[in-house]
Amino acid sequence: MPTWKEKLSITMEPQLVEEIDAFESQIALRRSGKLDEKIFAETRLRRGVYGQRYDNGHRNDGVRTQELNFSSDLTKGPDTLWDAPGMQRIKIPFGGVTPDQMDTLADLAEEYSDSVLHVTTRQDFQLHYVHIDDTPNLMRRLAAVGITTREACGNSVRNVTACPLAGVCHGEVFDVTPYARATAKFLLGHPDAQGFGRKFKIAFSGCRERACGLVNMHDMGGIAVTRTENGMEKRGFELYVGGGLGAVPHDAKLFEPFLPEEELLPTAQAVARVFARLGEKKNRAAARIKFLVAKLGIEEFRRLVLEERKTMVPDPRWTGYLPEVAEFKENPLKEPVPLNGQRPEGFEKWYSTNVYRQKQAGYAVATITLPLGDLTSSQMRQLADLARSFTGDNVRTTVEQNIVLRWVSEADLPELYRELVRMGLGEPGAGTIVDVTACPGTDTCKLGIASSRGLAAEIRTRLAAKLFTLDEAVKNLHIKISGCFNSCGQHHISDLGFYGTSRTIGNRKVPHFQVVLGGKWEDNAGAYGLAIGTVPSKSIPEVIERITGRYVRDRNGNETFQEFIKRIGKQELRGMLENLMQVPAYEKDRSFYSDWGDPREFTIGDLGMGECAGEVVSAAQFDLADAERLVFEGQLHLDSGDYAQADALAYRAMIQAALSLVKTQFQSVRNDSDTVVSEFRARFYDTNILGDRYAGNKFAQYLFRRHDSPPHEHTLDHARRIVEEAQLFIEAVYACHDSLTERGSAPISIKAVGKP
Amino acid sequence: MEVQRFGVKFFVADPPSVRLHDFIQIFHGWIQKQTVENHLLIDVHNYSHIHNGPGILLVAHEGNFSMDMADGLPGLLYCRKTPTTGTPVDHLETILKSALQACNLLEGEVRFRMDDFLLLANDRLNAPNDDECFSQLKPIVSDALERVFGHTKYTLTRHSENPKERLVVRVEQNQPRITPITRTFA
Repeated sequence: MPTWKEKLSITMEPQLVEEIDAFESQIALRRSGKLDEKIFAETRLRRGVYGQRYDNGHRNDGVRTQELNFSSDLTKGPDTLWDAPGMQRIKIPFGGVTPDQMDTLADLAEEYSDSVLHVTTRQDFQLHYVHIDDTPNLMRRLAAVGITTREACGNSVRNVTACPLAGVCHGEVFDVTPYARATAKFLLGHPDAQGFGRKFKIAFSGCRERACGLVNMHDMGGIAVTRTENGMEKRGFELYVGGGLGAVPHDAKLFEPFLPEEELLPTAQAVARVFARLGEKKNRAAARIKFLVAKLGIEEFRRLVLEERKTMVPDPRWTGYLPEVAEFKENPLKEPVPLNGQRPEGFEKWYSTNVYRQKQAGYAVATITLPLGDLTSSQMRQLADLARSFTGDNVRTTVEQNIVLRWVSEADLPELYRELVRMGLGEPGAGTIVDVTACPGTDTCKLGIASSRGLAAEIRTRLAAKLFTLDEAVKNLHIKISGCFNSCGQHHISDLGFYGTSRTIGNRKVPHFQVVLGGKWEDNAGAYGLAIGTVPSKSIPEVIERITGRYVRDRNGNETFQEFIKRIGKQELRGMLENLMQVPAYEKDRSFYSDWGDPREFTIGDLGMGECAGEVVSAAQFDLADAERLVFEGQLHLDSGDYAQADALAYRAMIQAALSLVKTQFQSVRNDSDTVVSEFRARFYDTNILGDRYAGNKFAQYLFRRHDSPPHEHTLDHARRIVEEAQLFIEAVYACHDSLTERGSAPISIKAVGKP
Repeated sequence: MEVQRFGVKFFVADPPSVRLHDFIQIFHGWIQKQTVENHLLIDVHNYSHIHNGPGILLVAHEGNFSMDMADGLPGLLYCRKTPTTGTPVDHLETILKSALQACNLLEGEVRFRMDDFLLLANDRLNAPNDDECFSQLKPIVSDALERVFGHTKYTLTRHSENPKERLVVRVEQNQPRITPITRTFA
């Protein structure tokens, strides 16, 4: 019997054969101890082979921390065991997949994973619980249908995303699909895109108004624009750089209002060169291009890129794809026929939320709502067959973790719906409040703090039953959830966003979510929300009820949710949630002490809980609560436009938080800011005590930067950032304090009387 | 036949009795006690939100167990991931016994049918879903069944002739009856 390698060698591109063979060799080298684990780690990441939760060999089972005794001690990266199951990310440029590719993806999920395919918020697929030894064959089978996993992870150009409606959208200026494809192809493995300190994400959007492209939150993004030159319409892009979510969101800056299409690839290359040359390499926390753009300023960054551009030797690929752009078109399988005939039960509701009528008359886009972005191999295979019957190759994934079938003849929609219902994929509610987006969180992610998917599933269940009785204004809100501050769930750009965190109540951990309100999905991720407060995970559904209920009751006419949030103000919103922030005693309600969908008692690590003889609140916790108050007040000043005061309060909040930790070691420390920062640096930063959990040292730099370089002028951008940074710094101090308490090294505490 | 990745699914005798979410707690309990022999149990994954999906999944290093809901028919599915030693019959015997061990552990929660179950070759390269492979697999399955269940007579059929599907063998006892499993199988 031939191996997959032999069987597929004739169907794969020679370059892919070579790359995958090389990766297999690197696996062998690592196995024989001839390749350093750090180098191998980055190597596999650049092939999309990712670590997964518990791959350090420890797992808390709810009672104790178990050692997972794999038979081999071999590692595939620092503190990452070889035999521990991992995740395989599969890049899908602009989300475009063919039925044959879907069949292959389904097979791979069945044979190497757990028969489930997960669509990510960047149009990728992910397979979980994959063994690293299976990855070369998995890659070969993908390569045989034209898919590469190269640079799906690691410090590289990640999946190039684009609107799933590109080419069929009424509002688009032109179809960005061929440009997204060309960019992905050009930069894949490009030598100038190999020396980054961090990842680099690119997105394209066909218009400014709709959200699909989310250009504003990307490292680089292009919005389709045209202008008339010599009586001819010329295509180009409004080019943005330096956006990003992550812990602190940055708005992308306008690099060029009209970048002619022939300049797209060379400019992308020049941006990559400047980023590779000047971007931070040592400090990963400040290594995304957004930090470089912020540091240099957009004018200087633009100047450097344009200078770089002048030095570049022309590459025929820069414009070689443009003739294909002119010819690019998708071929529908069926003739356009208007919707007619009998409609099955449930069709109207599904049609109202899941069907978009294309600009091409008689055709529609049908969205397949995937709960939590998941579908089975069997569903994927059946979906591929449906595409073959109804639409041909016109299938795409979306950043809302769904799949769309494009170019459906409208007359086929009832039959398509019947088939989807039969497959269990006929749920309505695409793009509505039910269509909750969530990152993997604690289910599989090593960084997850709280269960984003568990919460998302609970919210979906609660809202689905009443979706069509909800007020229209609420029905179309977005909910997005991240398991930690890193924003993979895109909580910053959601009407109602949540990110996972943890609090210690009576020496027990309680899963919480920070509530982030008023972000904007529309306008290409037009605005970021700000934190309101931290609420126990089990109370989050009630948060949604309260906030949306108030919106329905008190909104002025057609007031949008963002306008409503702004008008009501964060102070009042926080007041609305105040009692939900309380956690009942463990003896009274243990449900708060475990996460959604996980019966284990909640924990954030492998350390055991200290014994507790009563409700103990440390002095540091009081100081931290004060710091939280200061940063909240800073947010209020930010909202009222008093940027100087917002900055001052956020800075004070950071000093206060730092002081809370310093005092655990040096109670009589002077509280002037120079002393606090100096002591904090020496005791917690230089010693890496802060940094041992949740990348705390990264957040310490927010304090140092603000302390060393106060702003020369007070702008909205700066004030918003400093408030966000203060919030994150406080979170890091909380985590550090909790860690020290667990180890019994935060000695100064006072007994609280009558505290809940 | 070089197949290592076999799987087996024993259907629940009384499907309405299955309360899928109960298996989250049950499987977590198994991990706490590392109950399943010769398996390193790692984690539980809740896929109950997926229609006819893997239900509740217990991830182990050697193979995954799940209260699987494929085709709307709940059952204990065991899919082997790591190789076992010996002949193909040995592999299949090991896999059947692992699945039966899990079924035994679930006694008291649900009962499984032993008169009608599925054996799947989760390896399209070495076991494509065609007549030839089915013919090769049949004697291996028969021998493994005899080792595990004694001289009970079974009829073996191809579950689906769709070449895109995995090769799945339906195992039906010739004189159907519902047999609660016993620990003797494991």
